[in-house]
Amino acid sequence: MKTLCTPLEHVNRRLLLKGALTTAAGGALMNWGGLFNSDAMAKEVKKQGKHCILIWLQGGCSQFETFDMKVGRPTGGPFREISTNVAGARVCELMPGIAQKMDKLTVIRSMRTSQVDHGGGTYSMHTGWTRTPAVRFPEIGAIVAKYCGDVESNLPSFIKIGSGGGGAGLLGPQYDSFALDRDGGLPRNSASRFPAEQELRRHRLRNFVENQFAQDRSAEPIRVHQEAYDRARRLNNVRDRFELDAEWAKSRNNYGNSKIGRRMMTAARLVEAGVAFVEVRHTDYDFHGDNFEGHKALVPPMEHAWAALLEDLEARGLLDDTLVVWMGEIGRTPKINNRCGRDHYVRSWSTALAGGGVKGGLVYGESDKDGVDVKENKVTEGDLFATIYTALGVDPKTENFAGVRPIPLAQFGHRVVKDILI
Amino acid sequence: MTPILSLRVVQRLEVGHRCDFYTNSRLFRRRKLGALAMINRPFLLAVVAVCLIQSTSPGAEALRDTIHRHVDEAWKKNNVTPAPLTSDSEFVRRVYLDLLGVIPSYEEAVAFLDDAGSDKREKLVETLLADPRFGVHQSDVWDMVYFGRNPPGYGTNKRDGFKNWLRDQFNQNISYKKWAGDILRAEGNTVEQGVPMFFVQYKNAHEDATQAITQQFLGVQLQCARCHDHPFDKWSQLDFYGMAAFVARLQVVDVGKKKLTTFAIGEKNLGDVLFTGPASQQEVGQKGEPVKPKFLGGELLVEPELPKDVKDPRNFPSGKMPPKPKFSRKDQLAKWITSSNNPYFARAVANRIWGQFMGKGIVDPVDNLSGDNPASHPELLEAMTKSLVEHDFDLKWLIQEIVNSKPYQLASLGTVEDTNPGWFERARFRPLSAEELLESWVLATGYDDVLEASGKKPKSRFDVGAPWVYMKKYFGSPNDGVGNFQGGMHEHFYLNNGEIHQLISEGKGGLFEVLSKSEKPWEKRVEQLYLSVLSRHPNPKETKHFAEHLRAEGDLRNRLKEAIWALMTCSEFRFNH
Repeated sequence: MKTLCTPLEHVNRRLLLKGALTTAAGGALMNWGGLFNSDAMAKEVKKQGKHCILIWLQGGCSQFETFDMKVGRPTGGPFREISTNVAGARVCELMPGIAQKMDKLTVIRSMRTSQVDHGGGTYSMHTGWTRTPAVRFPEIGAIVAKYCGDVESNLPSFIKIGSGGGGAGLLGPQYDSFALDRDGGLPRNSASRFPAEQELRRHRLRNFVENQFAQDRSAEPIRVHQEAYDRARRLNNVRDRFELDAEWAKSRNNYGNSKIGRRMMTAARLVEAGVAFVEVRHTDYDFHGDNFEGHKALVPPMEHAWAALLEDLEARGLLDDTLVVWMGEIGRTPKINNRCGRDHYVRSWSTALAGGGVKGGLVYGESDKDGVDVKENKVTEGDLFATIYTALGVDPKTENFAGVRPIPLAQFGHRVVKDILI
Repeated sequence: MTPILSLRVVQRLEVGHRCDFYTNSRLFRRRKLGALAMINRPFLLAVVAVCLIQSTSPGAEALRDTIHRHVDEAWKKNNVTPAPLTSDSEFVRRVYLDLLGVIPSYEEAVAFLDDAGSDKREKLVETLLADPRFGVHQSDVWDMVYFGRNPPGYGTNKRDGFKNWLRDQFNQNISYKKWAGDILRAEGNTVEQGVPMFFVQYKNAHEDATQAITQQFLGVQLQCARCHDHPFDKWSQLDFYGMAAFVARLQVVDVGKKKLTTFAIGEKNLGDVLFTGPASQQEVGQKGEPVKPKFLGGELLVEPELPKDVKDPRNFPSGKMPPKPKFSRKDQLAKWITSSNNPYFARAVANRIWGQFMGKGIVDPVDNLSGDNPASHPELLEAMTKSLVEHDFDLKWLIQEIVNSKPYQLASLGTVEDTNPGWFERARFRPLSAEELLESWVLATGYDDVLEASGKKPKSRFDVGAPWVYMKKYFGSPNDGVGNFQGGMHEHFYLNNGEIHQLISEGKGGLFEVLSKSEKPWEKRVEQLYLSVLSRHPNPKETKHFAEHLRAEGDLRNRLKEAIWALMTCSEFRFNH
């Protein structure tokens, strides 16, 4: 069992001194907490080269048509179970690819979350917290960007493919998501509108202006502003990382010729290039009607690409350091409604993890015979996020501040599910 | 039997980028407008009054000198060397932005820099405080205090009424005591009077309203006490619910006629807050005890006995103004909060105004005046608070004293890295708001004139088309949770490749056209460029560098645009310093 590094161990003497001086100068006792939250602090947290890919199932994928089948029960639905490469573990017949990757997967079949609508669920399954007016909680991507991202990289640390919104909240726009378009291309305004020569010319002129101002001023905002400018500009050096047509031609057969396949491949290439967090969105699973037809259409391309993603990451030696999270904002009702649909349900549903930091071939938790309630090992959103952060080598108790209020990464009272961690 | 208004937390959706407001203030921004002509009568009276006060007590120290004395003492005590006094050019830009929310125009900057008078800074401050743009900018600032960038819907995205009302409070220099009370009394409707909008955002969320009122008006943070007794402050849950009881009877009523969304705040005669103990011990169906209104840290509210037959409708009917209650709890709250004897009210606003102009509060953050959050200059805060009460909460006067004080007028130079230096030994760095940035860019580039020359007369402050569209998204909240600037990449995509380029227009009357048509030597034109955008003369090195850049062979069109762009996007422009 790997022991976690607590942020404190990595605060060096100079930093402590600097923090102490700031406190003395600031005259505000409350600021001592700020030391554990400063940018410098984040840099001092050991970078272990961890990455995370979130496969986000917008709308809420059904647990009954994936990992928690209730064959023969009134809540079961029409699909059959198939065996997997892990003895005893069975999944839905819609997922033959994933069935052969079961040895890489930890499935949690005992999710119990709090937000039953899409808005609240999307928020709480991205932040691990319930929305409140007073605190802007950061998304998991921003947190991973802050604690696992490489500040020196030319690439953004937190990328979303096919979704926008959310954000870094109290961590600040520095850790905000960088949204690619639905096919994984760069946003339009990220490209210089000028020929290279002219771009360089204006860059030099701007640098001259910037240096004139900075030569006898040391205020931090000048540095932060300049660094962000440089990052935006450096993206131009790595534009080719996002030009993946040739890669796609090679990988198309593995990932399946689908949009979700292309997004997952893009995620794999970006992680390989050093990006800390990539969210890939697949939509829309909200089948209040025709649930089975719907899942029959959406699950196969997604699970095929997902299996290919795990295969690809493993082949490139990335799987041990890349945690792949599979979840949506809600689960679906055991009861099948009169439109052959399933409605929103959060009392008992499923998520899955694979790769870096978690055991493979494990099914954790259990629902009761009809999938109405969690039978054992309940996992809340707080527990799940704490477990994910721990798997990534980040202490979930690490605090950031909303004003004077300390906010830990994972919700108060969380439980790290140690049983599923390596 | 007393009906019970049960309080519960209502999830609020954050609605992004919808707070568009229009004030018919565009005219005020016209560079040709002489601000001096606009000194209004209340202001003159205030000046006379201040002079009288000062002349009647010749020995009394002006607040600006008190400020300097206390800050200076702290420098000495802590062995801190302050930065030198700032240059005229840095001062003129700083004070225009802080008071009017926009940089000075070329003409305004030149007029100030060329003025040889020894009291020109004081005079400029006086002029700017009388400028109608003062109220417009202060309403932008205070609107953010009350609503933030993403208010929770319920029509709060359209709050021109509230903002225009705020603007008038500042321009007519109404006492803060009066207008803060007006917000809490919330009389009238959201369109004509504007004020009720404050409570509209807390529709069905009385606990949130309680939290906001104590934090914004009193600098006391009670959010911890909402669910459990405060861990390191004296507040208990009963303090929280005692305050919540004052606003628990409020109800948002739609009083709109036809399509215009208009709200008023109704108050019921009956109804109590129920207290059920710590949140962690709550159980489903738990009843709870009613809590009587109690002033924070003070007495229980004495309420008259109501007639036995008093009844409330379940909901106030929409379409007509709700009746006044027999006894208004909220009015009692407004009276207590804005009383000169209130231990928090004056201190909180003095500290907030100081923070607005000096980068951080004497107690920082400005909305947390808890005993555990000590003041850096406690005596100064007491002195400011006392004087402000003596001046009947005249914020304009307080602002005038602060910006005329030496600590406000220090340079931004030096090796101190802090955004907001702890002992105020150097000017702070404040990122310009989205509104300030756009208005300043428009002014610098002469984009107003370009639009007007092409026959598109803007209908409101930000009616400039595409350049405004993404501004609030990329520049709307540039700080992290504790007030540090954290510009992201998207900000620079906008600056490098986005709609900002539209402002550097070649149209008639714009800066580009003026400079490219001018026949003066490039050195002179570079000077005009610097004065137009950065409000200062270039130094010889800059003149030479820019003149060479512009004089070089070929592509003058792009070279000139690059020169304008570089000055519009650099750190010197991005911050007020």
